[in-house]
Amino acid sequence: MSAEALQLERELDQLHPAAFGWALACCAGDRAAAEDALQASYLKILDGRARFDGRASFRTWLFSVVRYTAAGLRRRATLRRWLPLALLGATPDGRPDPATEVARADGARRLTAALETLPRRQREVLHLVFYQDLTIAEAAEVTGVSVGTARTHYERGKAALRKLLKKEPE
Amino acid sequence: MTEHDDHDLGDRFHALRRDDAAIAPAFHATLAAARTRGGAQPRRGALGFIAAAIVVASVAIAVLVIRRGLPNDLAAVRLKTPTDFLLALPNEDLLRTVPQLGRVTITFDWRTP
Repeated sequence: MSAEALQLERELDQLHPAAFGWALACCAGDRAAAEDALQASYLKILDGRARFDGRASFRTWLFSVVRYTAAGLRRRATLRRWLPLALLGATPDGRPDPATEVARADGARRLTAALETLPRRQREVLHLVFYQDLTIAEAAEVTGVSVGTARTHYERGKAALRKLLKKEPE
Repeated sequence: MTEHDDHDLGDRFHALRRDDAAIAPAFHATLAAARTRGGAQPRRGALGFIAAAIVVASVAIAVLVIRRGLPNDLAAVRLKTPTDFLLALPNEDLLRTVPQLGRVTITFDWRTP
């Protein structure tokens, strides 16, 4: 294996837990779908179909790849639900799987349930800023929107989430 | 550097991050699964090709069936509307024929429609 490939693997290894958390967020908490998205992303990176060009940080670039791959898998899953192609394999239904739900504490479960009610963009920006500790500019890079748009999603999402969590019993 | 200004939400998300980290699969297991998946990729590609071929064949058959129902000479097609009967007149044949002197062959239909 080349030194470049080894370096790439080391960087992926360091970011693996964060990438898994992001993949879970992109797949609405469905662990099987998240693992699928992560494997497909790593495969794209290692076989050179996705190349890091150094324009962004490695982390934001990796998150963009995971997000794009998860969206592709989601589209494919939707298509599979419509076409009778059962031989293509099991179709994730886009909902949190019971194992992930059990592993999460009560507070975390409430948070994910509230997040599920928000629009996708708001959910993504909130996850990137609060969970991954990215700046709004970095979150904008990952989601492919302008910084102003990301800030709007952030503010609206935060207000909606606070409201939703306030309604929940403590 | 963190940019968020809501510590309560930050704490909630960090708790979620700790829970997710506990269930995250090992990096090397994910990598191995990805490489195995890479080997299986052509099968999925072939199945995708078969699905695309089925769609193309279905569209081609649908086009053929629709075209078969159409007349060959579209210029000769006369539009027939449901209100055509309102234009029917008694002895309307008279309007389309030229009477010839000395040979009266016209028979009138005096019945009212």
